[in-house]
Amino acid sequence: MAPQPVVTGLSPKEGPPGTRVTIRGEFLGARAQDLVGLTICGTDCLLSAEWKSPNKIIARTGPGKGKGNIIVTTASGGIGTSTVQFLAYHETIGPLKECAVWIEENPSQNLSWGRRTHTSTVYTQEDPLGLSIEGNEQKIPGDLRDLFPDCSGDLSQPNFSPAWFLLENHLSTSFEDLRAGLSYLKRKVEYQKEGQLSFLKSNAGSVIDQLDTLMTIKEKLEEDLKVAGPEPLKKVEDSIQKSITESRNIFNDVLERKEKADSTRAALFALSRHKFLFCLSNSVDRSAAAGDYDVVVNDYSRAKNLFGKTDIPIFKKVMEEVDNRVLNIRKQLFEKVTKMPQSVEQQKKLVKALISLESQQIATSVGEKLRLTDPAWSAIDARAKYLESTFKQTFDQYTTKDGNQDKSKTRYDPNLQPNRAAFCEEICEIAASQLPDLWRLGQSYFTGELRGVNDPKPGDFKRIVLTSIDKFCTYLRVAILILSDQRALRQTTGLSWAVGSNSLAQQFMVWIPQCLRYIRIAYATLIHLDLPSEALDIIQKLIDEVRLFSFNIIFKRAIDKVKKMTEKENWIMGVEDFPGATLLPSALEEIIVETLEEGQNACMNPEIREGNLLEPQSEGQREVSQRLQDMLHAFCGVIEKLAQTQDDENHTPIVSQLLGFPNTSGLERGSSMSWEQRILCCLANCSYCHKIFFTHIGTVFVKYGYPLPKLAIETSRITINQLFMNLLEEYVEHKNDPLVGTVEPSMYLGNFTWESNVQLGKLRPYAQECIDNLVGVYSEIYTISPALLRPVLEPIVQTVAEELARLMSCVQNFSFTGGIQGNLDIKMIRDSMRLYSNETAKNFFCEAIEAIPQLTAEQSKKVDELLEQVKEDMKLQTLCFKIQNP
Amino acid sequence: MSKKPAAGPALHKVIMVGSGGVGKSALTLQFMYDEFVEDYEPTKADSYRKKVVLDGEEVQIDILDTAGQEDYAAIRDNYFRSGEGFLCVFSITDDESFQSTMEFREQILRVKNDESIPFLLVGNKCDLNEKRKVPLSECQGRAQQWQVPYVETSAKTRENVDKVFFDLMREIRSRKTEDSKTTSGRAKDKCKRRKIKCTIL
Repeated sequence: MAPQPVVTGLSPKEGPPGTRVTIRGEFLGARAQDLVGLTICGTDCLLSAEWKSPNKIIARTGPGKGKGNIIVTTASGGIGTSTVQFLAYHETIGPLKECAVWIEENPSQNLSWGRRTHTSTVYTQEDPLGLSIEGNEQKIPGDLRDLFPDCSGDLSQPNFSPAWFLLENHLSTSFEDLRAGLSYLKRKVEYQKEGQLSFLKSNAGSVIDQLDTLMTIKEKLEEDLKVAGPEPLKKVEDSIQKSITESRNIFNDVLERKEKADSTRAALFALSRHKFLFCLSNSVDRSAAAGDYDVVVNDYSRAKNLFGKTDIPIFKKVMEEVDNRVLNIRKQLFEKVTKMPQSVEQQKKLVKALISLESQQIATSVGEKLRLTDPAWSAIDARAKYLESTFKQTFDQYTTKDGNQDKSKTRYDPNLQPNRAAFCEEICEIAASQLPDLWRLGQSYFTGELRGVNDPKPGDFKRIVLTSIDKFCTYLRVAILILSDQRALRQTTGLSWAVGSNSLAQQFMVWIPQCLRYIRIAYATLIHLDLPSEALDIIQKLIDEVRLFSFNIIFKRAIDKVKKMTEKENWIMGVEDFPGATLLPSALEEIIVETLEEGQNACMNPEIREGNLLEPQSEGQREVSQRLQDMLHAFCGVIEKLAQTQDDENHTPIVSQLLGFPNTSGLERGSSMSWEQRILCCLANCSYCHKIFFTHIGTVFVKYGYPLPKLAIETSRITINQLFMNLLEEYVEHKNDPLVGTVEPSMYLGNFTWESNVQLGKLRPYAQECIDNLVGVYSEIYTISPALLRPVLEPIVQTVAEELARLMSCVQNFSFTGGIQGNLDIKMIRDSMRLYSNETAKNFFCEAIEAIPQLTAEQSKKVDELLEQVKEDMKLQTLCFKIQNP
Repeated sequence: MSKKPAAGPALHKVIMVGSGGVGKSALTLQFMYDEFVEDYEPTKADSYRKKVVLDGEEVQIDILDTAGQEDYAAIRDNYFRSGEGFLCVFSITDDESFQSTMEFREQILRVKNDESIPFLLVGNKCDLNEKRKVPLSECQGRAQQWQVPYVETSAKTRENVDKVFFDLMREIRSRKTEDSKTTSGRAKDKCKRRKIKCTIL
């Protein structure tokens, strides 16, 4: 409240009504509107007031008279006081007097004849002394009221004071004039006294009128008295009073009702204006129940902005309620965020809502009650945990299922996916769907989209992702790599999946490439996520392992197939440039090609972000080499096995003996081949493999993009060569025994002795037989594989030569013809077999010849003659041996 | 009707006299409200009253600002009668106003019938020194002759404005205490004054 207005200055301090007065003082209103009241000498002058400044007001005085205060009233300061007074006086204005303001003049003359019909309220009396007061401007300074208290200068007043009157009106009138005035006054009084009758006379009409009127009034009064009793006015007064009270009551009633209506309307208006706030607590709950968390956040922030800092208790209370509801919603939200499964979008939405709600509540007292560490982080954590538990659950589910199946031993459809494969498929699907979710959630957390007030923890998130992927890989490893060291896996991971029966494992093997496919699909999904390479490397390692494993399995299957190839041998010698070699190697090649193709398709071809398994010096290459070696080794086994299968029943030595016949050829007995032929085929195969085929396999490998398995091929060639030698030895031995064994008995057949005389002319039968046998062997080999002639025949010839040398050296005496005959025989054999004789054989031949005593010239001549003759005779037989390179 | 002024603080009635346009109202308004009115509006009779602290004592000063114009000369007597102290103002840039101070002095002395009435000769508009028409020595000479203090003021710059009012109030106060001490003298004075008044009447 501003201080009271005080008027301290007036300019001028006196004047007639309408004087323009400058009022000065203090606190006369802060502005024009603040000035609400102004009275000068008791008359209201607000209408003419002109507010200039808080110190100055200009106004015109009203019709008041006498000395009075200037009271300024302001809205801010109330009713004021005044230290100065204004003196208002009425100036008498005559026709000759100039005046600044309009003053109602006296009627200068009585215009109406007869009686005066009216008296003006502002009637200024004529001077009773009959003196003009015009020009009488001398005033009594100070206040006449001070001099004449309780008196008045007004003639009509009962407290009229003649002294005042004189001082006021006739201050400057001369004594003579006053005297004249007095006599005038006296005269007038006399006149009035004396002239009463004449006055009546002259005014008889009006007097009678007055009388009549009085009479009428009296009559009326009496009538009224009769009707209304002695005090008729009282009744009127009463009823007036009553109506006043009544009307006041009615008015008050109306006023009251109006006020009530106004307040109700105001309340309704306030309610509707703040409907939003009052409905907020419920609407927030509703929206939260409907899942419209955005709406909750918006509404809440709006309410916070509008009413957050309000001081109005009702709003405060409502806000508190809303705060509590929001707190509950936050609790619910937090539970929902960590509840799995749900989509990432949903989770994000919840986290965002949570964060914004939390940030809005953070400063409030309610916010202190629930301080969430980091909802996004909790969401990530929940998701990671869920992922892990899903892995575990799936794993447990399948292991139990597998265990049950194993126990029940039910044979199921091999086309049906085994449990392990099904597990792989499912776990890969889980990983491919949930890991991206987890990652995306993490990404948006770290990009700040979901970040609350807390700083993110990148290390932890990375660890979570890595752990999840690691877990994923571990489960897969346990499931897939059934042949690897399960115990080591169990120790490191604490997980195990009993391998179960062999058949089941075998069944699963087939599915491994399929499993690899599943993993790869999951891997491809994860690659798209921009996961850290550390994480991808874990999977890549697993994939490499599985690839290698799968590759191994493929090769193992191929080896098994190779092992069964013995059944497939049909002994058709279909190799064009290598006579004697069967189609077996090409069958092997087929298998290898098939295997390589399968391997290529299934696992060797690196896909996105996979390494080449066959890097030089890598495990893969070693593995390939090893597998190939195994395979070729198996192949060798196959050949060996084929060579050794002797069907005893049909075994008929091809070597003819003089002692017993018949010399039946296996070929004659239809398609089935004799053992000798088969072993020859095998020998041919070995040789073929050694010389051409294995090297060819190397090129096949290269053709399919594999590295050249040099070592394996070399090793295998050594193996096959060894096999060749063994088989050859066996064959040679088989041929030698009967051939060499028959020489001695045949030589001494028919009690023949070298001492006796021998009929010359042709070869001895033993030599004949020996050559025949050799021819037989030759033909046998030649039909199968001419290339084998030399390696087979050479040792046979050598043994024969050795036998001859032994037999000759045992002979004590040679007759003349015997010497010739012996020489002839040996030389004949030697010469015919020259091409197939090695040094040892030649030496043995020489030894045999030398064992016969030195021939005479005659004998020698005879030998030469006979040799020529025999050669001529046996030309056809020995012709085959003459061919240098059959 | 009108309230009697509060009985508490002493009331000193000061009257401003001097020719028209010398700056009586300007001095008064400067003293009362610290404002300087540029535009000239002839005064009839203005009244101001406010509380001031005079030497640690709270007093009320009542200033009657009178009209300088000759038209109002007739009513001056009435005003002068109530005055307890006078500031007789002239403009140092207007010789005529200086000369008319004589008439004012005489009139005051006649009305108050007291040679030693508190009275200050004030030369206003001293900020307009370059337009000075009345030499300082002449002013001081006249003051000496009257045995009153002479002060030069400027309503525009407020120079010596407070001084003249406070000096005058001090004189009035010392005069009043003098009077109350010599009660007999005062009574005598009163008689004398009434007597004089009667003779005039």
